[in-house]
Amino acid sequence: MTDDPSWRAGDLGHGQAGPAAADLAALLTQVGRGSDAAFAAVYTRVSGHVFGIARSVLRDPAQAEEVTQEVLLEVWRDAARFDAARGSAMAWVVTLAHRRAVDRVRSEQATAAREQRVARPDISYDVVTEAVQTRLDAERVRRCLGSLTPLQQQAISLAYYRGCTYREVAALLDVPVGTVKTRMRDGLIRLRDCLGVE
Amino acid sequence: MGRFSWHRADPHTLAGAYALDALDAADRARFERHLSGCLACSQEARGLREATALLAETAVAQPPDGLRDRVLAAAARTRPAPPATSPARPAWPGRRWGMAIACGVLAIALAFSGIAYSTQHQLHQMQARSHAIAAVLNAPDATMMTVRASSGPGRATIVMSHQARSLVFTSARLPVLDAAHRYELWLMGRSGPRPAGMLPAGRGGMTPPVIVTGLRDGDQVAVTIEPASGSRQPTTPMILMAALPA
Repeated sequence: MTDDPSWRAGDLGHGQAGPAAADLAALLTQVGRGSDAAFAAVYTRVSGHVFGIARSVLRDPAQAEEVTQEVLLEVWRDAARFDAARGSAMAWVVTLAHRRAVDRVRSEQATAAREQRVARPDISYDVVTEAVQTRLDAERVRRCLGSLTPLQQQAISLAYYRGCTYREVAALLDVPVGTVKTRMRDGLIRLRDCLGVE
Repeated sequence: MGRFSWHRADPHTLAGAYALDALDAADRARFERHLSGCLACSQEARGLREATALLAETAVAQPPDGLRDRVLAAAARTRPAPPATSPARPAWPGRRWGMAIACGVLAIALAFSGIAYSTQHQLHQMQARSHAIAAVLNAPDATMMTVRASSGPGRATIVMSHQARSLVFTSARLPVLDAAHRYELWLMGRSGPRPAGMLPAGRGGMTPPVIVTGLRDGDQVAVTIEPASGSRQPTTPMILMAALPA
């Protein structure tokens, strides 16, 4: 399977000590009180995740950059609404990012933007240097993804990394929609258990 | 979309698709209504969401230079919202599907192409092709582009992967040809054009996806109208041409 990105670039720019190392949930609490220093630290912590997932879904660095800016501003605006009882801080941010990217890829606005871009053949697509902030986490996720069945892996990867709906996944893999739904759920349950998520 | 009666089935089965944002807006709204009345379901949804969020770890990438300054400056001009008095949910805009998304276009084209296959052997071939297409789509470096025909409403959607040295080509709204002619796909390289396959007959205005392998650096993709048996060299002008991203 080659369904997840396997970038192995060195740790770039993410290893800053100080506020960046602080607990993300605590930083969000400070952001909710209007601390721009805490927001700068949040940016350092999450921007690689937000940009990375947006680019994975949108396949276009320019649109991924726009989404990253939108998501970070949403984090700034709504930090006070983050509720630690409902999930982790990183999951909150990454969920916002994934939804926005998926929403955009499914909108016609993206169609127009892409067609314009095709007119510029000199665009560089994948020149951004990849940085793996939490390489151990990434390795763990890859290992757990690798423990799934091929159908579970493909269904989860097409949905998460490419923004496909489960109906689209069913058509692409030529399996019944009911099977895709089931494989997404039992695959994620296996992933959750493998990753030791509560 | 959303026409099957999933509410009759066990709604739990949608928990995975929900966590992956793989539901369309209508299914999503229904599932969230179900969640609000089911504690066990919302606990499961939370756990699956946490697991899903960890998938982002493998996609982490360095944002472009300058973005940090722009974001911090924009934040300085933006007023934070007060804490929510009731649990806030991110809005899920009910936009319609775009046609040019890789997933949607290819999924639709495959669904159409499925009608033509009936024997076990053909089904097997189709499944193998589906998995080959999924492999290109899931390649880490998959890039999608949409190209307009030189005239008329026709367009092509191409998903390519340098790593896989492959692309998936599908077209929409190309003019229907008579039985003696077909569209032929070409790779235009430094050493001249190489035939890359005939486009299958279209259904519903779209041609089923074609996989082209063996891409070389600097290749361009082109389409011409040829005799139905195919040509070794293009014999008519290009009706569509696309430079592939380097």
